Amino acid sequence: MNIQNPHAADTTNMQAKHTADATTVEEGLAIAEAQDKQYNDEMATETAMQNTLLTPRFYTTDFDEMDAIDVSPVREDWDKLIAQMLADPNKGHFKKNEDWDHIDWDGMDPDLKKEFIDFLISSCTAEFSGCVLYKEMKRRGNNKDITQLFQLMARDEARHAGFINDALREAGLRVNLGFLTQAKKYTYFRPKFIYYATYLSEKIGYARYITIYRHLEAHPEHRFHPIFKWFKEWCNDEFSHGEAFALLMKTDPKLTSGINVWWIKFFLTAVYATMYVRDHQRPAFHEALGVDPDWYAHEVFTKTSELSKQIFPITLDIDHPRWQPTLEKLHRANVKIAEAKEQGGIAGRLKQLSGSISAGTAFMSLFTIPTKKHEVPENPRLVPCY
Amino acid sequence: MGIFTKEKETAPCEVEVSHKFESLHAHVKFLNGAVIGPGDEVLVHGEPVMAPYGEIVTEERTATITRASAVERLWTRMTGDLEFMELCEFSFSEEVRL
Repeated sequence: MNIQNPHAADTTNMQAKHTADATTVEEGLAIAEAQDKQYNDEMATETAMQNTLLTPRFYTTDFDEMDAIDVSPVREDWDKLIAQMLADPNKGHFKKNEDWDHIDWDGMDPDLKKEFIDFLISSCTAEFSGCVLYKEMKRRGNNKDITQLFQLMARDEARHAGFINDALREAGLRVNLGFLTQAKKYTYFRPKFIYYATYLSEKIGYARYITIYRHLEAHPEHRFHPIFKWFKEWCNDEFSHGEAFALLMKTDPKLTSGINVWWIKFFLTAVYATMYVRDHQRPAFHEALGVDPDWYAHEVFTKTSELSKQIFPITLDIDHPRWQPTLEKLHRANVKIAEAKEQGGIAGRLKQLSGSISAGTAFMSLFTIPTKKHEVPENPRLVPCY
Repeated sequence: MGIFTKEKETAPCEVEVSHKFESLHAHVKFLNGAVIGPGDEVLVHGEPVMAPYGEIVTEERTATITRASAVERLWTRMTGDLEFMELCEFSFSEEVRL
């Protein structure tokens, strides 16, 4: 996705004195020069931001396999969940009301502003990509249960994307949806990869948002933007989507047994580790929220593990003595790789190689920590409780 | 489908771009029932379809579908799964520093 910001300078200059108000030529020139500088600064920030953007990806999968899903074994719970999604309790919720406080974007600490905008753009892109994926499944599928579910999830994702887009507009950022006319290549995922990845993504999303929401309930002075007030309903949507994937996986016991348990362990390790590394790359964001990223990670992992017991027969041992120090090692290796890339040259290449080896070793070390096994309940359904 | 060669075809399509508060989305629908497979590439012709804020724009366009060769299709099927992290959302981009 390409995001352009042609008007950012206009909004910031609103507060500045206008050249038309200048009483002398010199004063007029000085104001114009100051405005130019501000404009260039804005452009520089914008260029940096553009590099961080993701283009929505396009996927295909085995649609025949998805059509063959039979939800009869979980029919009762399935119908209840779909009815709840159809009733659409969050309709009309995602709009600004009197709780939407004014934000002084110009007064925001520049580091925080960069990280927060990265948060908004990444979240918007993720919701948007989710919408594209779900809509594609709805369109290509022939199984009514499955297409109805994907249609409802696409609705929620597009709604969330619209809400975040609104917050971005307030910050002077314009979302450009013109990417469709660029060549797009379609990659392929087996359906089970989509289930594991999106199930985890939705549940970890719930755990992340509710943890921040509860933290800010107790410490409202850290709520630097009103969007956090909407996190509860937002993450309840994520929760329902996760429930749907749990039910889907429940229809086929093979998905959560045998060799697939190794895939589940791999997904859990990769997702937890990536989350840890990415959060630690945004210190200003977490400091402004008054959240220690190590505490936050542990809290989110604990909640996600507890929830994922509904369907996964294993959870990661996040209290193992090797867990935390190895995550820290992985984070350091990641920083080293980035520094090496910036440095360039032969020395940079070597440093990059050694960083990649450290990162690979750290990941293997995390992956080989023995898991905790447990019984999976007969009925997987859960309700949001955090 | 060639083993190594790619074939191109054109298909009429409908592009829908919604830039509304209630829904931010963009979709392409092929009007002749063309089906996209792993590794295929799609290009919608013409200027980018832009929707002003608050509006939905629907346009009929022509798209070129570049079909993946058999080898490329197999490769995409085999390796696509490895990109699974794309399916997960982490709130932040992967950049170490902004």
